[in-house]
Amino acid sequence: MRNLKYINLVIVLLLVFSCSDDFVDVASEDENSEEFFNSEDDYQRALTAAYDGLQSTYVNVMLGEIASDNTLSGGESATDVIGFQEIDDMIHTPNNANLRDIWNWMFGAVNRANFILEFQDKTDFTNKNNVIGQARFLRAYYNFELVKWFGDIPLAVDKRIQFGDQFSIDRTPKSEVYALIEQDLIFAADNLPYVQPETGRVTKGAAQALLGKAYLFQDKFDEAANVFQDLINNGPHDLLSDYTTMFENDNENNIESVFEVQYTDKEGAGFGCLQCSEGNVAVGFNGIRNYSGPVFESGFSFNVPTQEVVDAFEDGDVRKDVAILDIDTWATANNASFSIGFEHTGYYNRKYISRKGDLNTGDANLTNPNNYRAIRFADVLLMAAEALNRKSSPDDIAAQTYLNRVRRRAFGDMLHDISTTGSNLTNDIYKERRVELVGEGHRFFDLVRTGRAAQEIDGFVSGKHELFPIPLIEIQLAGNRWEQNPNY
Amino acid sequence: MRHNLFKILTLFFIAYSSAQNVSVSGNVQDDTSFPIAGANVLVKGISKGAVTDFDGNFTIEDVKIGSTLIFSYLGYITQEVVVANSDKLAIQLLPDLAQLDEVVVIGYGTQTKKEITGAVSVLGSETIEALKPTRIEQALQGQVAGVNITSQSGSPGGGSTISIRGVSTNGDSRPLILVDGNVIEDLSVINPSDIESINILKDATAGIYGVRAANGVVLITTKTGRKNMPITVEYNAYGGFQQTTRKIPVLNATEYGVLVNEAFASGGDTPPFTNLSVLGVGTDWQDQVFQNAQIQNHGISFRGGGEKSSYSYSGSFLTQDGIVGGSKSNFNRFTNNVTYNLDFLENFKLTSGLTLTRTNKQNLSENALGSVLFNALNMAPTLSVRDESGAFTIAEGLGNEVINPIAQTSDTHNRGKVFKISGNAGLSYKFLDHFTAQSNIQFNYAEVSSKVFSPIVNYGSGKVFNKDRSEVFEGLNYFKDYTFDAFIKYENKIDDIHNINVLLGTSVFQTTGEFTGFNGFDIKDNSIAFATIEEASDVENINRALGRNPTFDSRLLSYFTRVQYDYKGKYLLSAVVRRDGSTKFGPENKFGFFPSGSIGWIASDEDFLNDSNVFDLLKFRASYGVLGNDRIPDYRFVSLLNGEGTYVFNDNLVFGAAGGAVANPEIKWEKQKTLDIGVDMRFLNNKIDITADYFKKRTEDLLVVPQVSGIIGAGAPGSSPPVVNAGIVENEGFEFAIGYTDNLNDNLKLNVKYNVTFIDNIVKSVSTEGGFLTGGSFGVGQDPPSRMEAGFPIGYFRGYQTDGVFQNQAEVDSYPTINSAVQAGDLRFVDINNDGVIDDDDKIDIGNPIPDASMGLNISLDYKNFDFSAYAFASVGNDIVRNYERNQDLTNRPSYFLNRWTGEGSTNTDPRVTTGANSNGLFSDYFVEDGSFVRLQNVQLGYTFTNTSEDSKLNKFRIYVSASNLFTLTEYRGYDPTASSGAPIGGGIDQGFYPNPKTFLLGVNLKF
Repeated sequence: MRNLKYINLVIVLLLVFSCSDDFVDVASEDENSEEFFNSEDDYQRALTAAYDGLQSTYVNVMLGEIASDNTLSGGESATDVIGFQEIDDMIHTPNNANLRDIWNWMFGAVNRANFILEFQDKTDFTNKNNVIGQARFLRAYYNFELVKWFGDIPLAVDKRIQFGDQFSIDRTPKSEVYALIEQDLIFAADNLPYVQPETGRVTKGAAQALLGKAYLFQDKFDEAANVFQDLINNGPHDLLSDYTTMFENDNENNIESVFEVQYTDKEGAGFGCLQCSEGNVAVGFNGIRNYSGPVFESGFSFNVPTQEVVDAFEDGDVRKDVAILDIDTWATANNASFSIGFEHTGYYNRKYISRKGDLNTGDANLTNPNNYRAIRFADVLLMAAEALNRKSSPDDIAAQTYLNRVRRRAFGDMLHDISTTGSNLTNDIYKERRVELVGEGHRFFDLVRTGRAAQEIDGFVSGKHELFPIPLIEIQLAGNRWEQNPNY
Repeated sequence: MRHNLFKILTLFFIAYSSAQNVSVSGNVQDDTSFPIAGANVLVKGISKGAVTDFDGNFTIEDVKIGSTLIFSYLGYITQEVVVANSDKLAIQLLPDLAQLDEVVVIGYGTQTKKEITGAVSVLGSETIEALKPTRIEQALQGQVAGVNITSQSGSPGGGSTISIRGVSTNGDSRPLILVDGNVIEDLSVINPSDIESINILKDATAGIYGVRAANGVVLITTKTGRKNMPITVEYNAYGGFQQTTRKIPVLNATEYGVLVNEAFASGGDTPPFTNLSVLGVGTDWQDQVFQNAQIQNHGISFRGGGEKSSYSYSGSFLTQDGIVGGSKSNFNRFTNNVTYNLDFLENFKLTSGLTLTRTNKQNLSENALGSVLFNALNMAPTLSVRDESGAFTIAEGLGNEVINPIAQTSDTHNRGKVFKISGNAGLSYKFLDHFTAQSNIQFNYAEVSSKVFSPIVNYGSGKVFNKDRSEVFEGLNYFKDYTFDAFIKYENKIDDIHNINVLLGTSVFQTTGEFTGFNGFDIKDNSIAFATIEEASDVENINRALGRNPTFDSRLLSYFTRVQYDYKGKYLLSAVVRRDGSTKFGPENKFGFFPSGSIGWIASDEDFLNDSNVFDLLKFRASYGVLGNDRIPDYRFVSLLNGEGTYVFNDNLVFGAAGGAVANPEIKWEKQKTLDIGVDMRFLNNKIDITADYFKKRTEDLLVVPQVSGIIGAGAPGSSPPVVNAGIVENEGFEFAIGYTDNLNDNLKLNVKYNVTFIDNIVKSVSTEGGFLTGGSFGVGQDPPSRMEAGFPIGYFRGYQTDGVFQNQAEVDSYPTINSAVQAGDLRFVDINNDGVIDDDDKIDIGNPIPDASMGLNISLDYKNFDFSAYAFASVGNDIVRNYERNQDLTNRPSYFLNRWTGEGSTNTDPRVTTGANSNGLFSDYFVEDGSFVRLQNVQLGYTFTNTSEDSKLNKFRIYVSASNLFTLTEYRGYDPTASSGAPIGGGIDQGFYPNPKTFLLGVNLKF
């Protein structure tokens, strides 16, 4: 009997201690990032995620206009998106939520591109250089944005910046960042075709155009001129003849589009994660306040064009009515109604405001499907003209040819051709850039890189406002080791 | 020789008979000579015993002469009798007013109230039934010292946050809740009438639950049948109606017109109302939105037991409409609870239970920008509910979120359903006289489904709620979990003075589940009748869009041991060690050790006090332990590709693989060191009962999600900063509870209970870059108002301090202002650091949502057949942020705006109204109010009919009337000062909180 009882005890004890520690060793069903890139499909999926960062550049586009003399901040009131208001008035500080968004979203996107490049040697497949080429273009695109806005930036090459690295990484000088941008774009141009099977993908033309732009920003006019001419002569792009359809939703990815950021209205979005939106958030923000009428839909009345830029158009310029919507005239003519927002100028950025006809999924203001024409062939022609005109041994004839192609499309005749040379031609090119590209986010950086910002923008202080301040909190979060940009 | 042989034989005979075992039997009665059925008779020191039958009789075989029998029954004083011979025993048990033998559940076992060395509070079923809660947490409010309940919402089925001895983490601060050993997260599925007792482990005693114990542990036991009890049937029902406890006074149409005109003029715009005299009173939107809502509850139960078994069944049905939205915010619940206990053998027993619950809830938008009540407060009174054509009026110009709340209610179709099965089964086996082996399994299975239909609507231009395309969402989530416990107990009493109890055990817990959901569009006829996924178009699977895995699997593996020792029942000692392994943490820190110990001294048993008549009980106790907390999202120690990386190619959405939350392989559990020193006292023949505790809890390695440098990519879609251990929080406080019970005379019985808790919460450090975390939201586009920062309470409000209103331009010119637009009539912000500018550095601590003290008072009186009870609770020192004013040009305002500044000397409290840009809406102490309150939680008067006929089956028949939340004394201007989301950082902010209703009920209790 006693033996039986002790056997009972032993059995019970065994049952008690039968679970091993492996029980709490559970792997997630989601993929582990360190065990990825085992097939081409993995690379393609990571590449799609790297493209995703392009959609959050809407802030860059808006602020590129608001910071300049082209538009005013607008909105509901003086305190609506305080970050925008301060940049408009050149009173921004290192405590600016929207600058912080640009910093965070662009570095997030760089990391996604570097994720692919970190593992670029892991698996081979036939299409690999095409994939790597696209990834390197994207890395260059995001780094270009960061260096434009903030100057010297922490730079990671072919690896992600991991948790813990932020305390040892320093700001890399601008010139080195540009050097990497150039290498990335040269590789992309060498390994990508002029036409990709899917719309929205990076092409050779996009890489060359961005490379030329990067050269132009560094005043490397010879290199810029060369790559632009190569693109103009050998690429598949040309100016769109009917300019009025350039920015409409039924003419996306047309012949003039060298690189276009894709958006869609098929997925809902929310204010909780603006960078997640698959729609063009800027379009909703730029829209007409409390609008009711044909063709357009409502928005938050930000980024409103000034009278000065409206007056910059010459008579007969077909681009004026495509770029600028005179809301009073329109409302009267079409029996529409609207409200007046803050800093109402009577004008709206017609290229990028909400239009009827989209699905209005989710929060309709955040899910507009208007693609952002990041690089248009007209821009390429004007940049080429500028490079040819400003290089050490200028080729003003070639410059005029490109400039006049743009003007002939704008006026529909050859009566508005320009034949100036030297610094007069330079100024004409600058004026043309303004009216051709108003509302597309380029003006502020054009003024800064050509040294005209202080005279054109109210409140602009030379030696300070050429760069935007690195958000103070970001300097603190990286261990307080970086110097702030001068005079902030 | 024969003589000696006979002596030797006699000696043997005597020796043999003194070692003899006999069969003992007897009868047990109470003090009124009524037989007690189901009383326990135990042979002391060994695991042998019996239970008295219907007539109070018992028999135990094979009992050694000289051993002691222990007679016990709940509510009566335990007696011990030594077995001298085989004579029949007649035992009379006396009622235990002190309830010192009351059993307290302490985790894998029980102790009597007298033996407890920790801070454990017990709430019995009578109190729970008197308060008539629809959810159990409501019954805890004000009842137990150290426990603070804040309602997340007053809507039917709305939840509450339970915090035990302060907020000790910035993450999930919910306590561990076990119902019969089963982990329950959502208490709305339990019928409060099924509860036998709630035991709350507040100090290191909870340490037996290791890594889940840091927020305290709530152990709930449900009612079962009882052995040898004839079947009793109970029917309880109540019904009544609810009203809002408060309406916020807002401007009527004429006052509104005056103020709007004034604001427009001040902002340089044309006043819109040209003729104020025709405006009249206008629409009272709150009257339109609030209604009297019905509530009713029916419950029936059967309980009984035979010689070797006991069983019970209880079922209930509750339906409650909402005071906002009526049936559009209805909650109903249908529960079934079955228990069955069986003694296979004397020493081999089975316990089992099964609960089935179905709940349905209809939801309206609440406590958010644009919620129904928010809109009712901000809608212009000049607008009527419907226009001439009968359609709902449009709220033009009132901002992007304010819409017609009646239209909003009518257009909301949001339903949630829960179907849940919970079960438990346990076997216990006693062997070798002192050992018990026990094994339990508990499981839960729940299906939570939801359906939201959003029709095409247009509430006016630019409204965020407009929908051009109808949409339906159907979601179905599955939750499964089980807990398996196995342990061995050793109990022995050595030499009658050393009492030892050793427990060794293991526990395994696993929870898994799956989230599924689909969105569909273009519903036929824009009608709820056709709103299903099958009939919708463009159906998308939400898991595909989010790119992440919809399942989860989280586990816990634990080993624990507990040693309890007492010397003569006077010096008590208890020690616990538990080892937990959790899947929340990576290989570096998966396992943790959690030791705790407690001691007690029953001073009143000492000789020097035993003779004195002052103390019936004087007990000192202290406990100290290390507890853990692992409530963080899963898999934060590895880097997973569950972020969002979606782009568009060929005009189609393409889903990529993107990194999710940034990983931190070094995360480990939060470590809480908790100290408690307490004293329990009874006086005057157990009429007065006092318990007092001092406690200090220090939580280290707080799991926080801090801001991190943007360069590591945590700002990318679907990504987020890593979880790090980086904070220290301390809660220190004092609890005091006093109770007085007395039979004043034969007909009058009085019971008064009061408890108060003082808590001081302070964050000791936040060691992330920046040194603080933010949370909560205020206004539109402003910085988060709440912070967790060293030197302040957790979740304190940080904003500008105001000092009156600028009366004239000279005052404006002579003091720093936040910008150049400030003029006479605007609030003056204090320049805290005297640097001549008003900026972020001038923001200071302007309040916090944690109360300094909370207290409860219960009074109950029984007079002849009448019973009366009143429960009140109060909270002092909690602040609330008033965030339900939209502050747009045409939105309505609360009536305190009648006191606004209109010129020099008019007022120094409230600023001017204007449509122009002004900084008066920036977060400052102007928006922080004292939320201290006293609330009469429940008043009840009942009458029990006496049983006139002897052979009537009716054992009890009571009717009663009850009123809940009858009145609240508070200075807070909002709906309900108990309002809080319960979030540690960001709680206490009122955006139109759905108030707890005032309820009037009529009810009946029947017992057969």
